[in-house]
Amino acid sequence: MNRRDFFKIVATTGAAAATSGCQQATEQILPLVVPNENLIPGVASWFATVCRECPAGCGVLARNREGRVVKLEGNPDHPVSQGTLCARGQAALQGLYHPDRFAGPQRREGDALKSAAWDDALKTLGEKLAGVKGKGKALAVVTQLESGSLGALLDRFTQAVGGRPRVTLEPFGYEAIRAANKATFGRDAIPYYAIQDAEVVLSFGADFLETWLSNVHYAHGFARMHTFRDGKAGTFIHVEPRQSLTAANADEWVRNAPGTEAAVALAVLKLMLEGGQVADKRFGDAVAAVDPKKVAADSGVPLETLEHIAKTFAAAKPGLAIGGGVAVSGSHATATQIAINLLNAAAGNVGKTVRFGPDSAYGKVTPYAEVAKLVQAMAAGEIEVLILGSGVNPAFTLPGGLKVADAIRKVPFVVSFANLPDETTALAHLVLPDTHWLESWGDYSPMEGVSGLLQPTMKPIRDARAMGDVLLTAGRAALGGEAGKGPLPWESFEQYLKTAWEPVVKGQWAEALSQGGVWRETGAAGVTARVERVDPAPAKLEGGDGLALIAYPSSRWYDGRAASRSWLQEVPDTMTQSVWDSWAEINTETAKKLGIRQGDVVKLTSPNGSIEVPAYLSPTIHPGAVAVPIGHRYAPYHLRLKYVPAGSTSANPMALLPAAADAASGGPAFLSVKVSVAKTGARRPMAILQATHDQDDRELVRHVDLDTARKEALAGRKHAEAHPTMYTAHEYKGYRWGMAVDVDACIGCQACVVACHAENNVAIVGKAEAAYGRQVSWLRIERWAEGPADHPHNGFLPMFCQHCEVAPCEPVCPVFAAYHTEEGLNGQVYNRCVGTRYCGNNCPYHVRRFNWWNYEFPSPLEIQLNPDVTVRQLGIMEKCTMCIQRIVAGKDHAHRDEKRAVRDGDIQTACQQTCPTKAITFGNMKDEGSAVSKLAHAARAYNVLDEVGTQPNVHYLKKVVRGAHGPEAPKPAKGGHA
Amino acid sequence: MTKAGVGAAAVVLLAILMFFAVSAWSRQPAIAKPSAQPIEFPHNTHVQTYKIDCQYCHADARRSEYAGLPSVERCMGCHRIVAADKPEIKKLAEYAGKQQPIPWTRVFKVPEFTYFPHKAHVGAKVACQTCHGEVEKMTTVAASTGPNLTNDMLNLVGFKPAAPPLTMGWCVQCHRQSNATQHTQAPLDCVTCHH
Repeated sequence: MNRRDFFKIVATTGAAAATSGCQQATEQILPLVVPNENLIPGVASWFATVCRECPAGCGVLARNREGRVVKLEGNPDHPVSQGTLCARGQAALQGLYHPDRFAGPQRREGDALKSAAWDDALKTLGEKLAGVKGKGKALAVVTQLESGSLGALLDRFTQAVGGRPRVTLEPFGYEAIRAANKATFGRDAIPYYAIQDAEVVLSFGADFLETWLSNVHYAHGFARMHTFRDGKAGTFIHVEPRQSLTAANADEWVRNAPGTEAAVALAVLKLMLEGGQVADKRFGDAVAAVDPKKVAADSGVPLETLEHIAKTFAAAKPGLAIGGGVAVSGSHATATQIAINLLNAAAGNVGKTVRFGPDSAYGKVTPYAEVAKLVQAMAAGEIEVLILGSGVNPAFTLPGGLKVADAIRKVPFVVSFANLPDETTALAHLVLPDTHWLESWGDYSPMEGVSGLLQPTMKPIRDARAMGDVLLTAGRAALGGEAGKGPLPWESFEQYLKTAWEPVVKGQWAEALSQGGVWRETGAAGVTARVERVDPAPAKLEGGDGLALIAYPSSRWYDGRAASRSWLQEVPDTMTQSVWDSWAEINTETAKKLGIRQGDVVKLTSPNGSIEVPAYLSPTIHPGAVAVPIGHRYAPYHLRLKYVPAGSTSANPMALLPAAADAASGGPAFLSVKVSVAKTGARRPMAILQATHDQDDRELVRHVDLDTARKEALAGRKHAEAHPTMYTAHEYKGYRWGMAVDVDACIGCQACVVACHAENNVAIVGKAEAAYGRQVSWLRIERWAEGPADHPHNGFLPMFCQHCEVAPCEPVCPVFAAYHTEEGLNGQVYNRCVGTRYCGNNCPYHVRRFNWWNYEFPSPLEIQLNPDVTVRQLGIMEKCTMCIQRIVAGKDHAHRDEKRAVRDGDIQTACQQTCPTKAITFGNMKDEGSAVSKLAHAARAYNVLDEVGTQPNVHYLKKVVRGAHGPEAPKPAKGGHA
Repeated sequence: MTKAGVGAAAVVLLAILMFFAVSAWSRQPAIAKPSAQPIEFPHNTHVQTYKIDCQYCHADARRSEYAGLPSVERCMGCHRIVAADKPEIKKLAEYAGKQQPIPWTRVFKVPEFTYFPHKAHVGAKVACQTCHGEVEKMTTVAASTGPNLTNDMLNLVGFKPAAPPLTMGWCVQCHRQSNATQHTQAPLDCVTCHH
């Protein structure tokens, strides 16, 4: 044959061979050597522990399959989480199995960190500690908030070796609240806020649905006081210069000029006094100098609105005023918090909804002013050994003006216990990776009376050691002691923990572990309010002309620690629907004046530094402000796997903030600078997942006003006739699964989206693919805005497969991969799918997601994959399955283990299980007593796009609004109401 | 036909034959040939001679989707003493001494997009031999399972031969039969196994 024929044959047969797939190779199957009593392969074991992704300290149950944790759920017994978990908690598994996790100890050699052995590393640490022994001020220990045994042990360590008092670094420390409580109530503490008991919540910037103090618990509380379903219809008024997620959930969002919160709060108090609604005349002294008309002019809040707020708040039985967020962290922060205290005291809320006694652990954080002093001591060369715990990243999270990185560089020996590389480990001389909290013993007390226990839920997957163990060993080496003797006698941290807990559990250690900790009622601490005059001056902002910089904590990234998880990058920010990027939120009008388009990279410059971020144009943010979320950063593997383009950098607005602490509170001054905004000429188009927030007249999110909702709830409402169909109706002989989503309860927090990713092995596609609309996420939270563009009323619509009775996707599949199951689900059989994509095209809800590529699960993230769910490959269509694997398991448990039918509540979908406001319900529609049946037949129930005739098995409940978005609200709203 | 035409047809035919030769149609899950296991474990001795129940070793069959394999400890429970001088037992003892699992070659496997729960079938009193063959008579376990080319070709031209063991058709046929004759409720819904 000639050359051409040869190549033709080889190419064709090669192609034929390549297309024919792989042989099933021989596979080994390994038994255990010594079986574990608690491990049945195929059956999950559950361990109770405490989430350490933030200081809220939610109790968690870890689902362990064959020795590895694959899912986290809230611990139903734990008083903080009450069985649910937020997006950051759900994403914690990506921290446990992080591809960039240190393999073992690291030692600095030149510019890089190189692997070291534990013995060598411990020897070095012991020697360095011996070098500073007894010197007093030369050793500094900085950790995250450790309000339990580890904190106590570390304090003993610093005492024994001789060092500065340990510094607890939490970038969000709420110092202003503590300073104000000291001034008003004589108590340096943060109380418990009983949001669930309030009739009216008046928030000055407190983002309690995102990061403020304890967002899972307070979201619960909010649902209980606000959702119509529970019979309550509390009112929530939120005052903030930007429409944050929390503001978007308010019945009334009041937009004030940045830094005027103190004035607004005092004006409200004055108006309450003038209205005769406050009995105690002392409060008049506090607000003698306040002129509500002037406050209205300065803050931009109309006088009628201030009067309305005063009237509503005073009439509440009881109310609750809270303050937080970045809007109350400037020079006016303490004044604002004192004003809020006075509002609560005047309205009689103290002791009812403001409860001292079960005080928050945040009250034990070292105030920023002290942290800044330590950094200055480092810069002055006073520190010889710096020990950093695993939850701190001061080079990234502290204000740029403090020049933390330079200060740390002056310390001759820096040892970090972090288990992931970050901006601070880049400065460390020795890295001794701590075990992840899922691999550790410990305890954590988020508030007085609640003490959660941590236990290892699996063996460490990296060569890591518990920080407590390491410091006990190294401390004894430095002091020349041995185990059992001296100031650090405990063999291990585990031993220390168990010894400390013995008097608490009194022999019932296993029971305490199984419950997840111990909790007891804490008596209320009576306090009396001291009334003093408060200065209503606005926050001082340095920087001349420019826009006020609002640097706010992000619900996805917190202070930056959670940004390394790809789930929290790909799950969008609910308000902007942006993924994989940070941004500067600029008012649309202001941007027009400056000639800035969305996606233009702008340079924000303050007296302390500058950052470059893409611009996001928002009609709602105050025209005099620019907002940048705190904490965005990329993990090394995000760049390695090209989730974002090579060389992508990010920017943290902390770089723009000054070193000086706020004088009155000692807290960091998040709101303290004005920035100039300049175009750089570069563009960085953002990947925005939702093209428009205007639903035209499609009535996807529907509203009903409160009065009508009440009438209809009592009298019932005639539902529209079902759309006629040419297909025969399905018959359900057994169960019939359905879901109900209460739009009135959904706060848009994205916890359900992350839970779905974790449960169903949903792939990450990266920024470029997401920009094409190719994200694989089965569940998305759509934000729909009604009313005037600068003051819209938002509704959040969790959208996923509607499991239609007359599904448009079913008849068009040529291979019967999309079909209707016997129990009412729209089933997708992955192995039949050939990738026609006709089904996805036909779906009017756009909920079918196609695998355009073979998406990678970089090692060791593949360990997190749920073994009960198939991992889909290229060419397969996928979508919400109503967690069919949980349905199958639930039926197996009920029918075979307990020989009974499935009861309501036995089976929970992952999204339902994690939702802090219980917005999602799943169950058997044939059971008239089930929660989902009742909700589906409620007066508020409707179906999305019901005019198309798909007859979905997912029912939504209308959002309840108050009249024209607020009784007596000055601005009437336009827009559709169903 | 032109020369070029014949050449083209030949290439196409070659492509088809290559495809069949290397495709899953001509391959089956690896069969354990008698010498392919690390230890020559004889099922017939343990089951027929010593009357040990399947679930004594494969204990998770009634509790989980996996039947499981006996741990090394389970084997050593008897073999610490029983037949300790035999060469195969010595191999076993070596693994136990080194605290290493025995690397058995897998014989039975359904595709990874399929979820087969042993628990449901053991609970429904399906004999192990129904799917695994007459294991009590086997020395090393061997099986001829999975799709094969002849069967598929016959189906293609319109015949309806019996499905080979462990193919989906074989499972579905048994489910149908059992529901019709034994009043069981064996599921026939796709997503019960494919999720």
